[in-house]
Amino acid sequence: MVKVKVNNVEIDVPPGSYIIDAIEKAGFKVPLLCYLQDLFNEATCRICIVKANGRIVPSCRFPVQEGMVITTSDDELSKMRKINFELVLATHNIICWNCYRKGSCLLVSLSKELGVEGIPVCSECSLYGDLCLVKQGIPCLGPLTIAGCEAECTKQNAPCIGCRGFVSSTSTWRNALRFYKENNIKKEDLEAITRIFWPILPSRFQNLIREVYMQ
Amino acid sequence: MSKYSLHEIIYGHHDLRVHVPISSCTLATGAQEVYRAIEDYIKRTGVSAEIHRVGCMGLCFLDPWIMIAGKNLPPAIYANVKPLDVEKILDRYLSEDLSGAYALRFRIDDKDYGIPLLDDKPEWKYQVRFVSRNCGIIDPESIDEYIRTGGYEGLRKALKMKPEEVIEVVRKSGLRGRGGAGFPTWLKWKITYEQKSDEKYVICNGDEGDPGAFMNRLLAESDPHRVVEGLIIAAYAVGATKGYIFVRAEKPLMADRLEKAVVEARKKGFLGEKILGTSFNFDIEVYRSAGAFVCGEETALIAAIEGRARPRQRPPYPAVSGLWGKPTLVNNVETLAHVATIFQVGVEEFTKYGTEKSKGTKMFCVTGAVKRTGVYEVPVGTTIKKLVYELAGGPIEGRKVKAVQVGGPSGGCIPFNLFDLELDYETLQAYGAIMGSGGLVVIDDSGCMVNVAKYFTDFTLAESCGKCLPCRVGMKIMNDILGRIVNGEGDVSDIEVLRDLGVSIIKTSLCGLGGSAPNPVLSTLRYFDNEYREHIENRKCPAKVCPKLVTYVIINEKCRGCGVCARQCPANAITGAAGKPHYIDSSKCVRCGACLISCPFGAIEKT
Repeated sequence: MVKVKVNNVEIDVPPGSYIIDAIEKAGFKVPLLCYLQDLFNEATCRICIVKANGRIVPSCRFPVQEGMVITTSDDELSKMRKINFELVLATHNIICWNCYRKGSCLLVSLSKELGVEGIPVCSECSLYGDLCLVKQGIPCLGPLTIAGCEAECTKQNAPCIGCRGFVSSTSTWRNALRFYKENNIKKEDLEAITRIFWPILPSRFQNLIREVYMQ
Repeated sequence: MSKYSLHEIIYGHHDLRVHVPISSCTLATGAQEVYRAIEDYIKRTGVSAEIHRVGCMGLCFLDPWIMIAGKNLPPAIYANVKPLDVEKILDRYLSEDLSGAYALRFRIDDKDYGIPLLDDKPEWKYQVRFVSRNCGIIDPESIDEYIRTGGYEGLRKALKMKPEEVIEVVRKSGLRGRGGAGFPTWLKWKITYEQKSDEKYVICNGDEGDPGAFMNRLLAESDPHRVVEGLIIAAYAVGATKGYIFVRAEKPLMADRLEKAVVEARKKGFLGEKILGTSFNFDIEVYRSAGAFVCGEETALIAAIEGRARPRQRPPYPAVSGLWGKPTLVNNVETLAHVATIFQVGVEEFTKYGTEKSKGTKMFCVTGAVKRTGVYEVPVGTTIKKLVYELAGGPIEGRKVKAVQVGGPSGGCIPFNLFDLELDYETLQAYGAIMGSGGLVVIDDSGCMVNVAKYFTDFTLAESCGKCLPCRVGMKIMNDILGRIVNGEGDVSDIEVLRDLGVSIIKTSLCGLGGSAPNPVLSTLRYFDNEYREHIENRKCPAKVCPKLVTYVIINEKCRGCGVCARQCPANAITGAAGKPHYIDSSKCVRCGACLISCPFGAIEKT
């Protein structure tokens, strides 16, 4: 057996185990994305990183060594996990309003766990099975607003007014604006509702609205 | 090599011997045509002479050079020879007129020909030709010439020792991996030696993909047997039965020469079964890979031989589980050549040079904005200043050196005020660069550092294998941000994003490619922060390189109104009457620079 220390908890694991096994045995958790036990551990997403003897390593693919000291979270780790998760979102085509997973996917739960603001309110709205307001022709800022409010307004059939701020990803904006356009939401109505919390919309977003509606 | 044998090798048994370098770099500058011209000359004049094919000396600015050694005359080197010059040069040389020669290889008598000695030239004087001792002197395709210079003596010595003793010799030498990371070679050998396995492999890493680095190619093309000998010694020390030399298919001459060297070594009994009468069996295969930058990483290199070039998470290290799951030793071309040389001439010759922590010599490629580009072998710990200013001759007239990019796309920029730094593994790392394979790209004041950083991220972005996320997506985002900055669309917050993202990519990437890819950006941010700010805040490129941030103007006093620029302009942005100063409409201008080049009066300037 190999003795390791996970966040000051000493634990014995069989030799050849990976760090993730020791962490789970010690009762801790690290966020996982690409790892599927026994099926896939190529350590490609780098979300499950931990510090082993001070060095940042992926816990899913790094074997334990005798006397290894493992830290599962600190400021540096959470910052890097956050950056890496933002990179995942940057390549993901976010269309929560039309997604068949209805807000119950790994990305949504991980973004909550890591505190990354890239997923729109629609993910929660569709999770609760609410009828989409945009699809009914009502201008609702759900597709553009950062999730985390449990979609309280839309539950009451009131459109989202964007009190939590906008997602910053350009690709999400573009997808959302196309969605508005498909459902015949007028540009003026959309701009009017954004003014509630943003009297002047940042020029980047103004340009995007113009670009999509001009197409 | 003693003076006598050098003399013997250069003169041979002929009255006249013309040495022509045939290697990738000289072929590109026309050495093959020069070779043919010399053949024609000999045929036509009937002079008794031999053309001796040699490798490259490493003085690229002389290419294509030839060296003539005639009876009672000193061997003279002629630089930048053109096929049409051959007749004149040879005629003059044979009439004992050496004018026009670049340098004399050595003197044979006291007679003064008015030509300096190569040993007195700065680019040669400060070099220590340890591992490149045969480059440019022997025929790379002849095993006999290699043996005559002491070749395979090292192997004979090593085979008389026990493997532990061989490793001990390497430990005493203090040799560290010349591929970049500087891991102690003996330790790698020892770990591989200690593994219990029915089969072990040794691999020579000849992938070398850095832009601006070509010392491995030069070494393997000019002295391939040295690499082969080093690989056999390594195999004996770790107990391997099969070796691979991993060469890029884009370097066909290097692969051909290594293949030929392996065949000849096999004929002479240095490879195969029961080598030199011992019970040691070993054979080498030259593996040509389609090549990717990532194959320089050892796990990706092993995966490439197995089928698909992608790195994997270490540990297990290749020394424990490598090719086909067996213990595998991976060493760089230059490292193995060093091993062979150390065994040939003894450890003391090697440890004479270098610093406390890293012994010996290292080959550096100096390219870019210098007078004398080439490969220079100097002791580890030589200052950047000495290498750039004395050996490579400093910047081109009228220019100032701004920075040097050490270690290619994985390395970092060292600014001019730090040129007193010594080139060794630890110092460079502390200043944000890496030794890498040893390529130095010199950038002068006509270069824009943001553009340089963009160039290198373009390279790593294209070469990223796409396996792990930070490298695949992170480098793309860094590249996009840099693209915005050079186009004058940058934001002040971009600098912070670049820094955070860069550090995160370095710390969390899977392999060495991602682990060093942001280095050019981070180091330019560290030393040339003002240039980034100038691009972002003032939308100006101080070096006037970035096309979108440059405007072309015509100086009225100089313009004669000839209209050449207006005819060249693809956007019809230049207007003006004949004989009157012209005017560039910057809203129409596409910043191609055609007018600047075409103006006969120098009336157009970039601002």
